[in-house]
Amino acid sequence: MEPEGIALRMTAWRRENTGDVAAFERIMSQCERRVLRVALRLLNNPQDAQDAAQEAFLRLYKHFGDLDAARGYEAWLFRVTVNVCHDIARSRRWSAGLEEVPDPAAPQPDAYYESERAQQREIVRKGLSRLGEKERAALVLRDVEGLSTREVADILGSSENTVRSQISTARLKLREFAGRLLRKQP
Amino acid sequence: MICPEFEADIALYAGGDLPAARIAPLETHLAECADCRVLAEELRAGQALLRELREEPVEDAMVAQVRRRVLAQIGAARPSRLYWKLALAAALILAAIFVWPRHQARIGPAAPMAHVEPAPVAPARRPNIVPVRHGVIRRHHRRAPAAQPGPPVLVKFVTDDPNIVVYWLIDQKQGD
Repeated sequence: MEPEGIALRMTAWRRENTGDVAAFERIMSQCERRVLRVALRLLNNPQDAQDAAQEAFLRLYKHFGDLDAARGYEAWLFRVTVNVCHDIARSRRWSAGLEEVPDPAAPQPDAYYESERAQQREIVRKGLSRLGEKERAALVLRDVEGLSTREVADILGSSENTVRSQISTARLKLREFAGRLLRKQP
Repeated sequence: MICPEFEADIALYAGGDLPAARIAPLETHLAECADCRVLAEELRAGQALLRELREEPVEDAMVAQVRRRVLAQIGAARPSRLYWKLALAAALILAAIFVWPRHQARIGPAAPMAHVEPAPVAPARRPNIVPVRHGVIRRHHRRAPAAQPGPPVLVKFVTDDPNIVVYWLIDQKQGD
C-alpha cells in the first residue's frame, strides 16, 4: 500500500472524527482479508482466526488516533494480529490437539487428492503448524504474505538478521517435514 | 550429502533473502555440489507452494462475520445522540418526581401557589432625595428587618418535548 494513501486515509479518519464507524468500516475493508489469512495460517483454526482478527480490529479502532500517519497502520495491525494469535495459541494450547482440528478453509479430504498441488499445499499448511510460533510468524509474513524482511522485522519487533535466521530455519524445517510425509506416502 | 555450512544460506538464497556479499560464494559452491543444488530446488518449490497459500481465498462468510462482530462492538461502545436525549428526559422526569412531593410536604396541602406573572407597570415616581447632613458620622449600621417568608414561587420548565414539563417550587424570602 502506498504511504500517501495510508496518510490520506488516516487524515480523513481524524477529520471525520475517530468515532465514525462508517469511516472505520471503509478502512477495515482494505485489510480484513489479509488479517484473517495471517491469523488462519498462524492458528490453523477458523474460529480462533476470527477471534484474533476481531480483537486486532477492535484494538485498531481504539488506538487509531494515536498511530503515526507517516508510518501507516498496517504494520501496527499485523503486529497486533501476530501478538493476539500468539496469545490465543498459548491459551488454547492448540498444538496439543492439532491433529483433531480440521481446517474448514482448507480443501476437504476428498479434494486433497484431486490434484497433486492441493495435496502439497496441505502438507505445507500442516508443516507450518508444526513450526515454533516465532518461526511460523516470520515465515507466514515473509513467504505467504510477501512482506519484505525489513517489514517483517518491524512487525515482529526484531532485527532483520533475526528474521533472516528465523525464516532460514523455518524453510529447512518445512522442507524436512514435507519430505518425511511424502516419503511415507505410497 | 548436504553441506551443513551452506545449508542456512541456501534457505535464504531460495527466497531471495541472502545478502549480496554471500551470493557469489554460494553460487560457486552450488555449481560444484549436486546435493546442495537439489536442496536449493526443493526449497524453491516450497517457496512456490507458500506463495500459493496467499492466493487461497478467505471465505466471504468469515470476513463478513468478523466485520459484523467488530462493528457491533464498536456501536455498542458508542452512545448515540438519541441515548443522550433519552437520558436527559429521564433525568428531568426523575427530578420532577422527587422534588414535587418534597415541596408539597413542606408547604402543606393548602399552601397557596404564586404564579410568576409580569408585574404591573407602576407610574413613574420622582426619586425620594434625602439631603445629606454634613458633619454627622453614623456609627451604627441600621439593622435589616428580619426576613419574613413570602409565598412560594412556581417556576415552569418547558422542554423540547411538549409532553415533558417540569414544575419547580421555590421558597421566597422577603427582600429576595
